[in-house]
Amino acid sequence: MTVDILSRSQSLKRERKRQFLLEGIAIVAIAIFLIGVMPLLLTPFRLRLLGRFLSLAIVALGIDLIWGYTGLLSLGHGIFFALGGYAIAMHLQLQLPPGQIPDFFPLYGVTELPLFWQPFYSFPFTLLALILIPSLVAGFLGYLVFRNRIKGVYFSILTQAALIVFFNFFNGQQKLINGTNGLKTDTNQLFGVVVSSQPAQFAFYTATILILILLYVLTRWLTSGRFGRLLIAIRDDENRVRFSGYDPTAFKVLVFAISGGIAGISGALFTVQSGIITPSAMDVAFSIEMVIWVAVGGRGTLVGAILGALLVNYARTFLSEQFAEVWLFFQGALFLIVVTVLPDGILGWLRSWQWGKVRALLGMSAPVVTYPSLEQDPEVQKERQEVGEDGNQ
Amino acid sequence: MTETILKIEDLTVSFDGFKAINNLNLSLKKGELRVIIGPNGAGKTTLQDVITGKVQPTTGQVYFKGRKITGLSEHEVARLGIGRKFQTPRVYLNLTVRQNLDLACNRNKNLLSTLFKTIPSTEKRHVVGLLETIGLTAKADLSASLLSHGEKQRLEIGMLVAQSPDLLLVDEPVAGLTDEETENVGALLLALAESHSIIVIEHDMEFVRQIARQVTVLHQGSVLFEGMMDEVQTNPNVIEVYLGKSPELTPEQMTVLQIIALFIDSDGLFEIDDKRQIISEVAAKFAGGQDPTLVEETLQLYLSEEIEWDYAIAQLQHPGQKEQVLQLSQDILTSRGMESSECKIYQTLVQQLTKEDVVPNAEEAF
Repeated sequence: MTVDILSRSQSLKRERKRQFLLEGIAIVAIAIFLIGVMPLLLTPFRLRLLGRFLSLAIVALGIDLIWGYTGLLSLGHGIFFALGGYAIAMHLQLQLPPGQIPDFFPLYGVTELPLFWQPFYSFPFTLLALILIPSLVAGFLGYLVFRNRIKGVYFSILTQAALIVFFNFFNGQQKLINGTNGLKTDTNQLFGVVVSSQPAQFAFYTATILILILLYVLTRWLTSGRFGRLLIAIRDDENRVRFSGYDPTAFKVLVFAISGGIAGISGALFTVQSGIITPSAMDVAFSIEMVIWVAVGGRGTLVGAILGALLVNYARTFLSEQFAEVWLFFQGALFLIVVTVLPDGILGWLRSWQWGKVRALLGMSAPVVTYPSLEQDPEVQKERQEVGEDGNQ
Repeated sequence: MTETILKIEDLTVSFDGFKAINNLNLSLKKGELRVIIGPNGAGKTTLQDVITGKVQPTTGQVYFKGRKITGLSEHEVARLGIGRKFQTPRVYLNLTVRQNLDLACNRNKNLLSTLFKTIPSTEKRHVVGLLETIGLTAKADLSASLLSHGEKQRLEIGMLVAQSPDLLLVDEPVAGLTDEETENVGALLLALAESHSIIVIEHDMEFVRQIARQVTVLHQGSVLFEGMMDEVQTNPNVIEVYLGKSPELTPEQMTVLQIIALFIDSDGLFEIDDKRQIISEVAAKFAGGQDPTLVEETLQLYLSEEIEWDYAIAQLQHPGQKEQVLQLSQDILTSRGMESSECKIYQTLVQQLTKEDVVPNAEEAF
């Protein structure tokens, strides 16, 4: 019996290795296609759009990590997204001859650069800040919430409340960060190149793809080992986790912080590719949309999150270009459809029985559909195999 | 002299002034299997909550292996070596059986080591061994959501053992199991008792008789009695509060109630959940503002004795009782939207009661 198990786990291991290899090849192929081929197919405007959507896919990864795996529905990821965006925008605003300050300050009678702007002269600091500030804010917020064992819908409400607080703060502080007008980045320079110029935009596009892949690998690593299984365990039964000797608070704080950092990166990449960051990035609706992307793609599957973000955003662009007035209805309908018909999202739907239908359409043999417990019972499998061999003789 | 593994001193837990546990003292020797019984609301589950750190006591202390554990949180208590099994099986449904066990048997449950350390092969082998012990080897790579209720119970016990605790707290392990499964779980607990100290909380007296040596009876948050099983069964205090001789009811009322209980319990009349519901409704009616659980438990106990109809009906002395029986059973039928004229069992009951009527009346006439 033990030998049997060992050989089975060996073959499982080989299978897993093969899957990793396939996944790696697929990722490289997609990257080459996006970076090498897409620029030839699309106009610069469309390419910039794709870059923006890909950067939104990054925040979807973050949401999937905290919601899809750990089961905590955050409606406040706009905070972290905007913090990342503001960090990079502040750095870009400071690309001025010495002695000058960004041109909106004099409008409000500010003559000295506020103290907290100073460190953003440094590019390395900015890079660090656009990851660390959101993740520290997320970690702190998470610590307060999780330590008090607030979960479920109360967690969602709290994150949304925090979002509104942040929105109002950023909206009202003209003298600090230009209030509701936000910070423009298009006309600024980065390393001597105008941000909105084509070479710069192509660089951002490439960076977005590379970072997306990097973060995909990171989240994949986080979710596939013991740590990832513990996140699922927290989602399934947090009390059991606690009574097994794990401290769920630490795990949840860490995941929320990572998720916040990912959102910050996403916000920064989105900002440089759209040319402006305003407090509207902390709009309640936008944070809910992020959740919808993940729900549509399939929560608990990383590819699903990316796919969902791209799909919904493209649908939005297409529909709002064609029929501007129906987009909002469509988005509502989409969410309703997903919740009622595809509770596991598109990827979950493909993964379950529909995959058999697709195979059947392609002329391949469809797998027999029975009770899942029968389907996966090793004894039944063995019998099936034996019957099959007899039949072939 | 064996050492004490768990010691509870002057423990009081009050929720908004209600004392769920009232000045409780308890001590458990290493390697002991202790069963705690007591009526609903006696504080059994609260006691477990306090030991495992879920609830902090208002006053009093809990010592585990000589160390004070009050004030620690759940995961700290668990790491010290106290494992807890919940009443309903609680496993991680979206993980496979193997992954469930693997998470429980992780030696170092810190954040960083869980994140970065590769799983040592000793732990992998430990998991394989456990799979064999709980008999789930063939289903090791199945998602736990596909397991049956009994298999989930076994998996959770396996997860508990994987934690290698010194003290196991087990809450009603046989609730909802068949007789055969109950016996298996009993045997498993007795086997575990060889190397662990165990506290079992149980309602099922039959099961308690199977496994118990030392029994502690809780009542209203304090220890009412502590001793061997047969002493417990004969102790008048225990019989009064737990086995349910309700002092509020006269023997006549009790006979009526028992027949009603038999009527409710008769085959094919009501669904199982409904039966329980009706019995508690009737019990509440008779308890007259007192706590109906005692009456209810007495009735359940009575039903478990499988008394014959004829014998029960023969106990009826007065015509008034019979009228009461008929009235009550008709009320029950109408309250569930049934016609008494269409209910066969009711008709038989009427026949039996009226037939028997003749004999005692004739005797009285002489």
